[in-house]
Amino acid sequence: MIAAILRSIFVEPWPFWAGGVVIGMLVPLLYYYFNTALGVSTGYGNLVKIILPSKNLQWIKAKFAETWSWRVFFIIGIVLGGLISSIFSGNFGFTAEMGRFTSIAQWPAPANAVYFFVGGSLIGLGARIAGGCTSGHSIHGIANLHFSSIAVTIFFLIGGIIAANTVQSLFLGGAW
Amino acid sequence: MNKKLGFLGFGVLFGFALSRVGASEYDLIVGMFIGQDYKLAWVIVTAIIVGFAGMQVLKKFSRPVASGEPLKISYKELKRWSIPGAAIFGIGWGISGACPGTVLTQVGEGKIYGLFTMAGMICGTYIYARLKESRPDL
Repeated sequence: MIAAILRSIFVEPWPFWAGGVVIGMLVPLLYYYFNTALGVSTGYGNLVKIILPSKNLQWIKAKFAETWSWRVFFIIGIVLGGLISSIFSGNFGFTAEMGRFTSIAQWPAPANAVYFFVGGSLIGLGARIAGGCTSGHSIHGIANLHFSSIAVTIFFLIGGIIAANTVQSLFLGGAW
Repeated sequence: MNKKLGFLGFGVLFGFALSRVGASEYDLIVGMFIGQDYKLAWVIVTAIIVGFAGMQVLKKFSRPVASGEPLKISYKELKRWSIPGAAIFGIGWGISGACPGTVLTQVGEGKIYGLFTMAGMICGTYIYARLKESRPDL
């Protein structure tokens, strides 16, 4: 019995609702304990400051006075969460695979690296201009019925649908 | 609760849940965009419903915040460039099959290209900071 429960938590993939419940509960829990909104992407500003401490940028100076703020600890925690999950489920390992992208496109490694770096750059830039990401806008914002977050999320999805289908037809043979 | 340690712990829970439910899988994120697999959409919808219900319960508490201060819900204003910014984010989301949270989980799981996506996100944030020097309306 206990072994079966532990197995379904640590080894078997979770059903959608289990992930949704845990992630959704973070919204009220973070307000209860810290009066703080769930959000990840702003913390990348802390990472910019950590990596490039000598750059004198107004926005970084004003918004990230405390370099090692709670946001950095949240980021470190998420990395650790992925590590712990993959160790328990037996999936941990350094791998150059990225789903069907690497299995079908068969690009040389440097091309893959540039591809993911470019995708990441658009995410980083877009998240700051939009004022948040999937966690801050799509989950926290919509859970609080914020109009701005609903509007932003619709355009997150439109961009994602256009980009993923374009990549699909250009590089991944069209068919799923 | 110490805020930094608390966020470290909640971060572990967040990353663990993202990884267990498969949100760090390229195929699951892209599958949602090309209409092949809607599991991730259901994760997000469930999280929104649970988050909404939890906030309603929290507002009924006589002390909604443990420290006793009044509950302060952060509202993100819709600014002039928010919508184009959201579309740029979406394009990056569809290209890389990751978002700012799930990419960290990918890195924890040992996915090498996740590191490149993450480095790109730091670079994109840096580009924003540079643009903001001359464009305060961004």
